[in-house]
Amino acid sequence: MHTQMEWKETSVRKSQALSAVASLARNLGLTLYALFALFPLVWMVICSLKTDAEMYNTVFRFTPTLSNYNAVLLGTDYFNAFFQNLIVAGGAVVLTIVAGVPAAYALARYDFKKKEDLAFQILSFKFAPEILVILPIFTIFQKIGLYDTYFGLIWVYQLITMPLVIWVVRGYFEEISVEIEQAAQLDGYKWFDVFFKILVPLIKPGLVASALLAFIFAWNSFTFPLVLSGFKIQTMTITSLRYIASDTVHYGQVAVAALVAVSPEILACLFIQKHLVRGLSFGAVKG
Amino acid sequence: MARITLENITKKYREKAALIDLSLDVADNEFFVLFGPAGAGKTTLLKTIAGIEFPQEGRVKIDGRVVNLVEPMYRNVSMVFENYALYPHMNVYDNIASPMRSRLYRKDEAHIREQVTRVTKMLRIDELLDRKPNQLSNGQRQRVAIGRCLVRSPNVFLMDEPLAHLDAKLRHFMRGELKEMQSAFNTTTIYVTHDYMETMSLADRIAVLDEGRIRQLGTSLEMYYTPSDEFVARLFGEPEINIFDGELEEKEGVLTLRALGQEEPLPLEEDVAAALRAAGRGKVHVGLRGGDVSFRFSEEPGWIRGSVYTNEPIGNKVIMVVDVRGTQIYLVAPNDTQTEIDRPVWIGLNMKNAIFFEAESGQYIVRHDAEGVCRKRGKTWPS
Repeated sequence: MHTQMEWKETSVRKSQALSAVASLARNLGLTLYALFALFPLVWMVICSLKTDAEMYNTVFRFTPTLSNYNAVLLGTDYFNAFFQNLIVAGGAVVLTIVAGVPAAYALARYDFKKKEDLAFQILSFKFAPEILVILPIFTIFQKIGLYDTYFGLIWVYQLITMPLVIWVVRGYFEEISVEIEQAAQLDGYKWFDVFFKILVPLIKPGLVASALLAFIFAWNSFTFPLVLSGFKIQTMTITSLRYIASDTVHYGQVAVAALVAVSPEILACLFIQKHLVRGLSFGAVKG
Repeated sequence: MARITLENITKKYREKAALIDLSLDVADNEFFVLFGPAGAGKTTLLKTIAGIEFPQEGRVKIDGRVVNLVEPMYRNVSMVFENYALYPHMNVYDNIASPMRSRLYRKDEAHIREQVTRVTKMLRIDELLDRKPNQLSNGQRQRVAIGRCLVRSPNVFLMDEPLAHLDAKLRHFMRGELKEMQSAFNTTTIYVTHDYMETMSLADRIAVLDEGRIRQLGTSLEMYYTPSDEFVARLFGEPEINIFDGELEEKEGVLTLRALGQEEPLPLEEDVAAALRAAGRGKVHVGLRGGDVSFRFSEEPGWIRGSVYTNEPIGNKVIMVVDVRGTQIYLVAPNDTQTEIDRPVWIGLNMKNAIFFEAESGQYIVRHDAEGVCRKRGKTWPS
């Protein structure tokens, strides 16, 4: 009896020690990975605080300066480009959600002719490189007056954002059994209520994750705003080019521009991290 | 609280017909059971009444009013779905409260709490109110689904296999509760099941459904004692009814039956003989339930010799299968019966309870005292 107790105690102690080692190893691994993943960001912050003269110093010693920030944020209309980018990318995502979620619902629920062909057609918008279709779009936009307008860009961004949202959200709708909708109807909810009270909470993880990805793609888009806008509207991706002058590259200023450019994405990711992890892995809504 | 009438309903999915020209009249406050094998159209029928499936032909009436064009939420029906259809993002309490929070059937929160407490107590899930559906076992989910259905007082309760996933003890208990509740609430209930015990204990009336048509409509006694054909006969009763070939013989003005390869013909009741004579057929199928077959391990005059094929104790009784010249006869034996396989055994047939079917079509012809047995009170099943 006594020995048994002792044996039990030692085994408990052993397993405790083992789990402590395991968690230490796990944390160490994660720390290493975090360092690896965050290094570019840290490097960018460091670059943004250096003067151009110190840029090529390999020694980790410099006098920090805010001159780059001064030059980019106050010296140019970079903020203007930031907000224009926000309007275009944000507008594109909003339009995608408003049009894409019903489209995804239709593709998931209704049975109509050529349904799969249509779904594939939507996906195929992502296949062609942007540079391939940009020239005809450019001529068309010139003709119908969409060149250099917010709406023109928002519209053409749908090529990037729509397929992603439709395909992810469609999968989520398919996971929800029709009977759940029917049960809600019998409970006395009208279709509109069923949609917002029952369906939307269930597709939320997928919707948030895919909308965020869509936003990032739209935010980072380069080819479309380069060709389809220029005078009135300038997105950040285009404006950033300005710091690469013909004679010299102002790395410090590029770093500041890049830091500002990634900040909304980083913030958004931090806020909806929870959904992001769950959102793109299917099977989250099984009852 | 409502009478449900279906008139000539035809429902097709693409080319496949799920319901064919089906008519049904469920009286107010009736406990009506739809019984049949998988794929018979039972669920489709419920959904047609609920309004979530639309028939191509025919009319659905609730209290005499045609509701074909009425949306499901306005029909005021409440349904238990076979796959529960619980809202995954809501806890048990909110799931059950959901019908009373919709715009159409809104109640105040105090009333909701009272009602939810009532049904969850009855269903024994009052400990689980804060859980989400994915933290529940199948039996618990099913009870939540029943709770969401029972919490309202609708025109009609539609229940699609509501007890299928409960364990045996709880199923038995819930069966009683449902019956009790139905009579207390005075609400029409249409109940789908493929369990014949549930059917017989709950139903005021039964419709046996097969391939989108009603095979037979009647009380459980009628189903059991005068099935419309061999199909229905086989559905009710455990063990399955014995159906074997028989040949009618007329000798000196007395009609007798030869079956199971016996020299000695079996006697027939007078009313049965008259009906069989009228039907005028030499060959018939004879249906006899396991409880109407007796057995001895020693020879009895007039009994039929066979050998034990299997002997399966199932708790309160033993199902013995006796092989008689290649025909297997199921019979119910007392639960202390022990025997080895292939032992000779003599069986006696209680021909008073035999049911006669046409040999080709399997349609019911006659049984002894059909009206008498169907009027019998008190459900004491021989098997």
